[in-house]
Amino acid sequence: MSQLFGILVRRIGISVVVLIGVSMLIFAIARIIPGDPARIALGPNATAEQIAKLRGEMHLDENIVIQYGFFIKDLVSGDLGTSLYTNRPVTLDIAQFLPATLELVFLAGIIMVGLGLPLGILAARFRNKWPDHLVRALALLTVSAPSFVWAVILMLLFAYYLPLFPIAGRLSDIYDIERVTGFLTVDTLIAGNFAAFFDVWHHLILPAVALALSGIGQAARLTRANMVETYEKPYIEMAQAYGFFPHRIARLYAFKPSLIPSLTIIGLDFAAMLGNAFLVEAVFAWPGLSRYGVNVILRKDLNAIMGTVLIIALTFLIVNIIVDLLIAVLNPRIRHSTRVQS
Amino acid sequence: MKLKYLLGSVVAASASFASAAFAETVLRLDEVAVGELDPAKASDYADSILMFNVYDTLVLPNQGGPGHSGHLAESWTSDGATFTFNLRDGVNFQSGNSMSAKDVVYSLERSQALGSGLSYLFAGVSAEAIDDSTVQFTLGAPNAAFVASMVRLPIVDMAYVEANKSDEWGESLLSGTSAGTGAYAVASHNPQEETVMTKWDDYFLGVADAAPDTVRLRYGLEAATVRTLIAQGEHDIASQWLPPEVIKALSDNGAQLLTETGTGAFYFKMNTTKAPLDDVNCRRALASAFDYATAIQMIAITDSVSAGSPSTGAIPVGMFGANSADMVQAQDMDAAKAHMAACSYDFADYDIEVSWIAEVPLEERFALLMQSNFAQLGIKSYIKKLPWALFAEQVSSPENTPHISQLFVNAVTGDPDTLLYGMYHSSNPGTWQSPEYLSDAQVDSFLEAGRAAGSEAGRQEAYAGLNARLMDLAATIYGFDRQSVFAASNRVKVPAMTDPSKAFGLDGLGFSFRLMEMTE
Repeated sequence: MSQLFGILVRRIGISVVVLIGVSMLIFAIARIIPGDPARIALGPNATAEQIAKLRGEMHLDENIVIQYGFFIKDLVSGDLGTSLYTNRPVTLDIAQFLPATLELVFLAGIIMVGLGLPLGILAARFRNKWPDHLVRALALLTVSAPSFVWAVILMLLFAYYLPLFPIAGRLSDIYDIERVTGFLTVDTLIAGNFAAFFDVWHHLILPAVALALSGIGQAARLTRANMVETYEKPYIEMAQAYGFFPHRIARLYAFKPSLIPSLTIIGLDFAAMLGNAFLVEAVFAWPGLSRYGVNVILRKDLNAIMGTVLIIALTFLIVNIIVDLLIAVLNPRIRHSTRVQS
Repeated sequence: MKLKYLLGSVVAASASFASAAFAETVLRLDEVAVGELDPAKASDYADSILMFNVYDTLVLPNQGGPGHSGHLAESWTSDGATFTFNLRDGVNFQSGNSMSAKDVVYSLERSQALGSGLSYLFAGVSAEAIDDSTVQFTLGAPNAAFVASMVRLPIVDMAYVEANKSDEWGESLLSGTSAGTGAYAVASHNPQEETVMTKWDDYFLGVADAAPDTVRLRYGLEAATVRTLIAQGEHDIASQWLPPEVIKALSDNGAQLLTETGTGAFYFKMNTTKAPLDDVNCRRALASAFDYATAIQMIAITDSVSAGSPSTGAIPVGMFGANSADMVQAQDMDAAKAHMAACSYDFADYDIEVSWIAEVPLEERFALLMQSNFAQLGIKSYIKKLPWALFAEQVSSPENTPHISQLFVNAVTGDPDTLLYGMYHSSNPGTWQSPEYLSDAQVDSFLEAGRAAGSEAGRQEAYAGLNARLMDLAATIYGFDRQSVFAASNRVKVPAMTDPSKAFGLDGLGFSFRLMEMTE
């Protein structure tokens, strides 16, 4: 337990340094993008006086180091500034859009792991037989097309030709649910409205599947490759020689060591979905953070860019910490090596 | 058993009849994000839709013709630099507060203090409440376009804002709630996702039963999504920003096409400070070589509906000073060659930079058309894609401004003054509207005369003179007069966008929901 705590503390320390580095990098890059943010924010009809006033309010005429100082000062007090795009506090925008994306990404992640790993195990277990060929073909198909292509295909198939799923949004117009947490799967339960609860899930399925498909293929291929490699290890041959049942060998001796490299990639995929969700969110009119992030970058909304990137980076780091801890739990050698290093 | 079944059927049929009779009608439409609800910050199309439905203005453009009529104002008088409006009695805000002259003064001062949106229209204007129903505006100089600019001064409920505000001018409050006299009240608002509005039955002009009970204005829907939603009957009016191919496909599938004839045009603006375009004959050569007919074909959506109509000159048809609709411009290669011969530069020494705005893919097609037209004269050109932000920055200096820039420009009040003064008066060089850097005393004089004229005839004369002078200077190639096209389901009737005699001639006002009719 203390070993895991040590790993956690070290990872958190590294994450804080990474987060500071990301904030400095993005702060500088956002200011290099061509275009005056004040001019873009105020629109084409703004006068020179209006632009100068807003530039002053945003400290844009100051040295970049001083600007960063203002940013950190506000950040420490929990203020990410006001979005020039929505004219609202960035923290309010993020609080509104992040739950929608997290809900989508969590379900996509569950689908990715829930289908990708079993398919990989199945393929490895029946290596070079028809289930293996089928899984590999499907995996190749899902990996080779990006999420937004799947989004459009799924929408056409299951919303247009076969109207089984809704096309846009998170909840049907007929429901009026008070937003408590922002997670509609939770808020509908708090409201005790089970019809709305099922409606939320109904809206979630297509975008989540579209987002998860390429991850499913990748998880299946990785798991298969790792398990095939593990099956060739001497200790597996020994287990087979002892006459252990194949499913026992797969579950106890082959799957666990094969899972470790897959877990790292799945963790990265999971976090990357936060950023990749943009086009899926756009196709399904999903009011999430990824779409917001792209819009604020296009409008050079400096405060909102910083807020969005920091939140995505933070989520990325948290997922990495969880993956590292899981790997340490699965592999005692990593725990011990960490103890020796520290 | 049979009787039970029969009774059940009768009850079900009655219930269904009752629900049909009292069914709430919902209008669903979309626009580009974000929807700015604060009327003092409204500038985009979505903002205008919100503003014209949630708030009212003192005057409105006449439907189907020029001029303005009273709306919240019953009448007005003017001596050129002073305008006195008599307000309508018995108008209430959605809060229940009564609308008075103090609210008009407050709305003007709030707009000026925030300095956002179209507040520049009211620079140097002051207002005074003479009594509860009379308000007087004083201008620094006579301005005949002032009445038109009143369509951009929505009247805000001062008492409501003062009682509920958390900052000096109630910015936070009005970014999320409505405080107007409009026919629709805001039920919920998320500037990136959706604004839901409900019909306000106590509207001072009344609202027809057929007008939609609820309006859901969604933001940022993708073209594929809109197309699917309309096909499934889950969407009523698509935004004008759909690709023409998608609008055509929707039309082919039975959607109706709504049009809003704007008060603007599509321009190819030539930098008059950069050789060889600082020579008027060189500019005339390019203007004559441009293929206007092909440009119109490129924006055609169906055989009968297009995103624009042929240009007749520097001023869009329908405005003061415009040429008649049959004076269509056309390519004239012989004239182009003659102008080229008179040009003091040798085009062979120059490579003309034709820019297009990265966010408007249609402009790339026009850039290619120009390149092809110019090549017929042996003129070399190259095409440059510029993101809007970079373009807006580059045009602030004449050296960095491209030889040719493509722009859509609209008169925000419907008056030619707001279209032309910013583009061509020598006091406004180097803005996004004026990459021509035109400095011409006659043009300035016509613009000032059009602004100061005390009569419609005087304005017509001034702008007609301006039109002729601008065509002679050829600082701009006038591509086409703009028309916005919207694909819509057949569940909604929009007379202001289908019947020219009911059109307002002002962007966004056609979306007055109180004038629409839901058929289902």
